[in-house]
Parts: sequence; C-alpha cells; structure tokens
Amino acid sequence: MSILEEISDNLQHGKAKAVKELVQQAVDEGIPPETVLKEGMLPGMNIIGEKFKNNEVYVPEVLVAARAMNMGAQVLKPYLEKAGVKAVGKVCLGTVQGDLHDIGKNLVKMMLEGKGLEVIDLGVDVSPDTFVNTAVEQNCQIICCSALLTTTMGVMGEVVKKAEEAGIRDKVKIMIGGAPVSQAFCDQIGADCYTPDAASCADAAVQFCLAMQ
Amino acid sequence: MKSRERFTAVFNNTLPDDRLPAIEWASWWWDRTIMEWQKQGLPDTLGFHDVAPYLKLDQHYQFWFPHRRSDCPQPAFNGGPIAEDEEEYEKILPYLYPLEEAEAHIEVMKTLKAGHDNGDYPVWFSLDGGFWFPRTILGIENHLYSFYDQPELYHRMLDDLADFQLKLLEKMYAVITPDFMTFGEDMSYNNGPMISEDSFDEFLLPYYEKIVPYIKAHGTKVIVDTDGDVSKMIPWLMRAGIEGVLPLERQAGVDVVALRELYPKFIFIGAFDKMTMRRGVDDMRGEFERLLPVMKTGGFIPSCDHQTPPDVPLERYRIYVEMLKEYAEKAVKG
Ligand code: B12
Repeated sequence: MSILEEISDNLQHGKAKAVKELVQQAVDEGIPPETVLKEGMLPGMNIIGEKFKNNEVYVPEVLVAARAMNMGAQVLKPYLEKAGVKAVGKVCLGTVQGDLHDIGKNLVKMMLEGKGLEVIDLGVDVSPDTFVNTAVEQNCQIICCSALLTTTMGVMGEVVKKAEEAGIRDKVKIMIGGAPVSQAFCDQIGADCYTPDAASCADAAVQFCLAMQ
Repeated sequence: MKSRERFTAVFNNTLPDDRLPAIEWASWWWDRTIMEWQKQGLPDTLGFHDVAPYLKLDQHYQFWFPHRRSDCPQPAFNGGPIAEDEEEYEKILPYLYPLEEAEAHIEVMKTLKAGHDNGDYPVWFSLDGGFWFPRTILGIENHLYSFYDQPELYHRMLDDLADFQLKLLEKMYAVITPDFMTFGEDMSYNNGPMISEDSFDEFLLPYYEKIVPYIKAHGTKVIVDTDGDVSKMIPWLMRAGIEGVLPLERQAGVDVVALRELYPKFIFIGAFDKMTMRRGVDDMRGEFERLLPVMKTGGFIPSCDHQTPPDVPLERYRIYVEMLKEYAEKAVKG
C-alpha cells in the first residue's frame, strides 16, 4: 500500500493519530502537499461519504473519520499555504432561526471540509440577516441552511429574499437541506439546490464553486 | 368494551369488540402547539393529563421515570454534555439514578391502581434507553464519538443504568403492572439508524437483554420509541426481545403497510402522517385509508407519528379526532 493509500485507509477508520503522522511523513518524503490532499485525504473522505449515504457506515463512523481528516488537514495547512494552494471555495453554514438540531449540519460541515472547501460555521438558531451578512462580509460563494422542523424551514425562504435584497443573489448559491426539506420546497422558495444527504451536498457545492471560478 | 381492554386486545394481536383505542401517543404535547391552541380556545387550566380527555381522546397515563435528580447540573447549552469522561461521570454520579424521585412517581401510580384494575385506562411507563440516556449525560456529539472513544465508559453507564432500572421496576411492580412501556431512544433519522448493527449489538443489546425479559415476565409489552426511519432496525430490536415500535414517522419514509407484511405480530403505534393534518381534511382521510388495512390486523394503534405540530389549527385537530374514531370503528366492524 502506498503512503497515500495508507492515509486514505486510516482516515476511513477514524485513526486520527496515524493520519496526522502519515501526512507529515508524506510531506517529509517530498510528496507535494496538494497531492497528499487530493490523492490521500479527499478520496478517503469521499469513500466515507458514499458509504454513509448508502447506510454502510453510520454517524459515529463519519464523525471519527472527519476528525481524522481534520487532524491531517491541520498538519497540511501551512504547507498548502506556502505552495499557494487555495480552498475550492467558501461556504457559510448554519441551522436556521428557531431550530437547534445540529447533527446533520455538523456532518454537512465535515463533508464540505472533506472536499477542500472553507466553511464558516454559524452554529444553530441563525437569522436570515446573519447568513446574508456573513456571505457578504466573507465573500462566500455558497450559503448552506439546515432545518429539521416544519415550523422553521420557512426561514430558508427568508434567506433567499434577504439575499435578493442585499443584491448578492447572483453571486451566491443557496443550498438547503434537513429532514422535512424536499426538492419541491427548494423550487417553491427559489433556492438553488437541495440534496437529501451531506455527501451529495458537498459534491454539489464543489460543482457550484468550480462553475463560479 | 372498557378502554384498557381495547389496548389489551390490540397488544395481543386481536381486535377489540367495538373500536381501536383512540389516543395521541405523545402525552407530552408540543408546548408551542398548546400555546397556539390556547389562543384558539383550549382552556389554559388543563393539566398534563387533562388535554386528551378534553379533546375526546381516550385517557391513558404515561409515567416517564426520572433518571437524574432534579438538582443535577444542567448542560451549558441545549444538547451539551453534563459529563464528558469517566472522571466527570464519577463526579455527577450522586445526581444520577434517583430512586427516591422515581418512587414519588410510583406513589402517583398507586392512586391510579383502582381505575386501572377496573379497566378504565391503560398505564404506560417510560425509561431512558441505552442510546438516549448516555446522550443526555455525554452531550449529543460527544455521545456519538463515545462509541469509539470511550467504549468502557459507555458499557459502565449502561450497567449502572440497568441496575437502577431493575431496582425501580421491582418497586413499581409491587404496586402496579402497567400494560406497556417504552424505551425512549430516538436512535434513527431520515436515512435510517444512527448507529451500525455492530454498535447496536455491542452496546445496546446486552443492556436490553438485562431488562427486557424482566419486564416481559410481568406481561408488560416492551416498545421502543425512536423517530425517523426505524424499518432497518426492527430485526435488531426483535433480537433484543423488543415487541413493538413507535411512532413510525412517515416523513422519514416508514411504510407501516409494508412493515406489517414483514412482521405480522410486531406492535406498531403511530404511523399517521402528521403532515397531512397541516394540509387539510381530504389528505387526512386519504391517510386513514392508507392505514386502514393495517388497523384491521390487530397489533396496531394508529396515532399521529409524533407530536402534533403547532400549525395544525385546533378545529382541524378536532376533525382529526372524529375521523380517528370513525376509522377505529371501521377497522373492527369491517
Ligand atoms: C435528534 C433529534 C432531536 C434532538 C436534536 C439534538 C441536536 N443537537 O441536533 C433534540 C432531542 C434536542 C430534539 C429536539 C426537538 N425536536 Co427533534 N428530532 C431529532 C431526530 C430524532 C433526529 C435528527 C437528527 O439528528 N438526524 C441525524 C442527522 C444526521 O440527519 P439530518 O439532520 O436529517 O441531516 C442529514 C440530511 O438531512 C442532510 N442535511 C442536513 N442539513 C443539511 C443542509 C444542507 C444545506 C443540505 C444540502 C443537506 C442537509 O445531511 C445530513 C446527513 O446526511 C428527528 C427525527 C428525524 N426524522 O430526523 C427529530 C425531529 C426533527 N424533531 C422533532 C421535534 C418536534 C422536536 C422538538 C420540537 C420537540 C419538542 N416538542 O421539544 C424539539 C425542537 C427543538 C428546537 N427548537 O430545535 C420532529 C419535527 C417534526 C416537525 N413538525 O417538523 C422530528 C422530525 C421528529 C418526528 N418524529 O416528528 N430533536
């Protein structure tokens, strides 16, 4: 097994310490940091995302894998910066106002980061103004809203409206998700994208960012 | 037929003589729903157990035993931890497993015994389950990590939990024999179980195996309360001796008609898509029609598949109750 495969494999098994050490070793061996990211860590996270979507692994396995990913990413970050490698894009993410459910939102965050996107996590109970202001101030290409309650999903429509009022609607994609959310609801409020799971969310987000580059 | 007899009939996979029970299984109404309904005429003087009979539903009494003392330290934020590791767990141990507070519930149960013996109503008790309880202690996210990070602590907590529950059950059964019980778990979501079958077998199965036979030996039906799509977990639960599930959340894709075919004797409670109540009367009728074939099989109590949401007007809910009773009768009388 090559060291990049080893990174991917350990990442999938949530072995954070091993991932950290292997990433350092790979860089020390002269493998370009971008290669470590794109051929070691991201494929590992991809596999976990797919397996999660298909119920082959479950929430705890994703969490420990994502933590391993994060540990590796911390080692890699200074090398990537030095090599001038930029994040694929920037996303602000949160659970909408009135809603405190955040397990799904946190998984979305991990999958987005696992795809090399920079994520600003606004937490839970986030107002439409906060989503839009953050997107403006931080130059985010994407706003991701999570809602788990039928009583709070309406807030997502307000985020769309606020983005229009702020004049950023053509510069930012609005993605929505959570248990009660559907494609029909996404169409109804004029958001850009709905996906039923975190891995597909991250795939779609990368596509948006690449298209906007 | 008396109310309790109807439950017994259904739990024995038969049909009552007159109609199925008509209940809202979620005795804890969503506070926002109650607030909305009070604006629409629901008296604000009604106590916890008074709402159901006021709305012309069958009375049933649920007792959820406390698992933490009322003065137990609270999490700093919703879903946050009270104790994150073994050391902190030991520190809060004096606040956990409060037998005295549980006994206060048993005292109240005592006052219901005459009516229960008489068949006027069923009595139901709930326990924090092996997924739910550690989550309330470790915090939502830390709990999910703990299957990998702190398996020994997880096992220890479930040992302690089972010991406490067995002690309290012994006291309860000396006083009253409830008709059914639920383990509060919430271990599934829209895409199925939150944990793998391996984790279930390693952590939850031994815990259930300690308690479930004891409860079943007293004739109380053992049901797991887990939102989301429970379908895939049913065989796991059956291996643990569990006899039924609720609330069979439709929005998460649960298809009770298909489940009944797979599991002819498993007890189902819930399954009525609460979202149809927001959409209107025709949708509600369509939903009852969907459920009718399963209602006729016994072993199923149709009920809203989680707390009724606040955007369902009280008037619509009253119509729902009428329809529920109409179909509860239809199921029996053909
Ligand atoms: C766990 C849980 C809780 C926990 C939440 C803990 C936490 N910190 O998150 C607690 C116990 C605190 C809770 C509280 C309540 N809950 Co709750 N809860 C659940 C439950 C069982 C699971 C949710 C979950 O964690 N899923 C696991 C994650 C991994 O899945 P997910 O969130 O769906 O995310 C996935 C996808 O949806 C997607 N996704 C998520 N976000 C996004 C965002 C984007 C942009 C995209 C593209 C994709 C995406 O990716 C994720 C992974 O693939 C659901 C049942 C269900 N069917 O979902 C009920 C549920 C959501 N709760 C419900 C209710 C009613 C409540 C309460 C109101 C109860 C009450 N009366 O107090 C409170 C509300 C508190 C509040 N103000 O928010 C109802 C909502 C019904 C309705 N009318 O909408 C549900 C559906 C239960 C039911 N059977 O009806 N709950």
